[in-house]
Amino acid sequence: MKFFFPDSQDLIDPSFDFARERRSTTRKRQRDDLYAHEVFASTPFDGFLVSKGIVDGYGALGSRYTLAQRHRLLRLGAPEFFRIDQASRKLSIMGDCGAFTYVKEDEPPYSVEEVLDFYGNCRFDYGLSLDHVILLYKPEADARDASRDLVPEAMRARRELTLRLAKEFLQKHKSGRYSFEPMGVAQGWSPMSYASSVKDLQKMGYRSVALGGMVPLKTPELLSCLQAIHDVAKPGLQLHLLGITRTEHLKEFARLGITSFDSTSPLRQAFKDDKDNYYTPGKNYTALRVPQVEGNPALQRKISSGEVSQDVARKLEKACLEVMRLFDAGQRTVEEALSVLMEYERFYDPGSKKMHEAAYRETLTDAPWRKCPCDVCRELRYHVVLFRGAERNRRRGFHNVWTFHRQLEKQLGLRQGSAA
Amino acid sequence: MRNELRLPAIEVKQSPGKTLYTFAVDGKLVPKFAAISRVRRKDDGGLTGYQRPEVLSHIDEIRNYLESNSPMIPNAVVVAFDSRVKFRPDPKALGSKYARPGILSIPFEEDASDDKKPGFVVDGQQRLAAIREALIEEFPVCVTSFVTDDVSQQTEQFILVNSTKPLPKGLLYELLPGTSARLPSALDRRRLPALLLERMNLDEGSPLQGMIQTATNPRGLIKDNSILRMLEYSLNDGVLYRFSLSEDGPPDVEKMLEVLHAFWTAVKEVFKAAWGLPPKKSRLMHGAGIISMGLLMDAISDRYRDRRYPSAAQFATDLLPLRDVCRWTTGFWDFGPGQQRKWNEVQNTSKDIELLTNYLMVQYKSLVWSRATSIAESPTSKEDKKRKERK
Repeated sequence: MKFFFPDSQDLIDPSFDFARERRSTTRKRQRDDLYAHEVFASTPFDGFLVSKGIVDGYGALGSRYTLAQRHRLLRLGAPEFFRIDQASRKLSIMGDCGAFTYVKEDEPPYSVEEVLDFYGNCRFDYGLSLDHVILLYKPEADARDASRDLVPEAMRARRELTLRLAKEFLQKHKSGRYSFEPMGVAQGWSPMSYASSVKDLQKMGYRSVALGGMVPLKTPELLSCLQAIHDVAKPGLQLHLLGITRTEHLKEFARLGITSFDSTSPLRQAFKDDKDNYYTPGKNYTALRVPQVEGNPALQRKISSGEVSQDVARKLEKACLEVMRLFDAGQRTVEEALSVLMEYERFYDPGSKKMHEAAYRETLTDAPWRKCPCDVCRELRYHVVLFRGAERNRRRGFHNVWTFHRQLEKQLGLRQGSAA
Repeated sequence: MRNELRLPAIEVKQSPGKTLYTFAVDGKLVPKFAAISRVRRKDDGGLTGYQRPEVLSHIDEIRNYLESNSPMIPNAVVVAFDSRVKFRPDPKALGSKYARPGILSIPFEEDASDDKKPGFVVDGQQRLAAIREALIEEFPVCVTSFVTDDVSQQTEQFILVNSTKPLPKGLLYELLPGTSARLPSALDRRRLPALLLERMNLDEGSPLQGMIQTATNPRGLIKDNSILRMLEYSLNDGVLYRFSLSEDGPPDVEKMLEVLHAFWTAVKEVFKAAWGLPPKKSRLMHGAGIISMGLLMDAISDRYRDRRYPSAAQFATDLLPLRDVCRWTTGFWDFGPGQQRKWNEVQNTSKDIELLTNYLMVQYKSLVWSRATSIAESPTSKEDKKRKERK
């Protein structure tokens, strides 16, 4: 089972100096920055998933690319733009439309030609047909005597549209002599409707199918859909699971014929989750929050209005960084470090119900970064568990991706053909 | 523990009842005798103080400068003292009608609380904070002070020094090429683009000679900002990037100018009718035109990747097929179904620049790039090989 890492231009700046929190003045974005596969000696994924929605930006969601970067990507293609020759294994690049970005629209905002053109210019290895997400799960609609009203016509229309677009996509892929592997997208609202979509796509001639819109499903719901699909899948059908958040059931996914999936969870949890920020094989730890005084809007407002003292805020912030430095050098105990961290937390978030104390104590006591062999932890040491600016948080995200990938290989057994 | 700083100072009588004392002191000592009066509301709703909080990013920039080689901060910090501070003129020294040297004594206590300090910083809190944070032994600064027991006088001076109009950005950009010191990051980054702009505007034989509007060339047609953005895009993601990669050496400015000359000469040639008119009459001379054309320069250069950069003739060959699909001065752009745009309705907004660029790229791909036979699958380019092995 292959793991694709969804791109949203997550890079780290190697010139960033953690002691002084400064970067090189000559740094060029993206050019001098590093992708995860340029950071680790062994690349922690099998490919990238690049979304048209992320590259172009859609609606309120701005693009993660500058205009000039976007056109460089379209001119030279993703393999060169992403510098995949720097990876330790052969990476594949998959393209999709990012259907969740336009889920509120009646129709997808792109034409099939536009999408094919985008995939072609980007020189992707795989391209997903244009689709429209169905935000509804109604397994009871599968019952023999179910009323048709259980599923609104607008949702049925979305499934029909997705299939129609898949057909058009395949035809134009052929006539346009595109060289990437086309993948049909299946949408549905129940096990049967998904299975029926997959059947139709197989009939059209697709040998690879991606399953869309499953992100909001609970695990049992997801598994019953996969079972229904598994029952209709022809031998050799490649099945990609789009956007998986629960990664603990990968073994079962593999058993049900899933050959690849993508997930942003390992990266995002590093700086979005309330408690699971730092992955280890055994369990996840909470990162130690030391927000920048200037980066914390609530605190900034209190300072500007004169409610709290900026000097006190900065002293507490600095004390946290200093105590962590000393703690890692073995000159402070867990409790000493903890009391400094908690003092700052009470200051910037006085009404906090988060109760970080126990979680922090665990992180400090186990000091998991000292045992982690990954390139990020080796270089960054304790900074990796500081929940602070983008440079630290993203590196922790990279560490999570690496840890996750290692677990994946362990669970599924080392795969053939993974380059050294 | 009462201490006293005794400093050589000059007393200046400026106007009736207004006397200044100017002196030099290590900036790291100032917080010992001068407090920052932060603005806030008291419990009864009354206003107290006037200073805003420190701006860390600004302080960081000053601090970087202070830690560079031989920094200089010539402008004085302004401090208001209460009447505990005394000036004693030196009877033996030479004075003038309005100025006389002497000794200023400033009483202070170690670690006194703010309300016990005799002085308040009226202007210069970011500079003083940067000196406080900087990893340097000491840094003497000039201080201009006045004595008053009246807070409203401090507030008035604070408002007066902080209500000046900032310099126009264009003038700053024009001054950049003549400097080499470490400047704030935002300006530092624009130094090379500003230098290229200056050369294109001044060099004999440059296709853009005298055409770029700057503080000293107000009659230029093209806004300096349009040119700067075009250059920044190319320096980061286009053909100019190739010449910024000399192994840690300085960027190859002359090569960059050769490319720019070649391309804009070709543009001038191919789009003769739209060239040299004010932006109101020709969208080619306008932000959207300049920036989208710059991105086209980068695209053409990538089609000719096997050479260092295309010649003016090659640029012109590739631009020529686009002449019929451009509407710089009249007619309607055909940006696709339901996207008819009158020539002068293309605005200088990021949305319109993107629309125009996408259109030109699609046209270029279909009229030129895709038709050209067997453009070799690009081998790894030189610039990638030059990327330092950082693993």
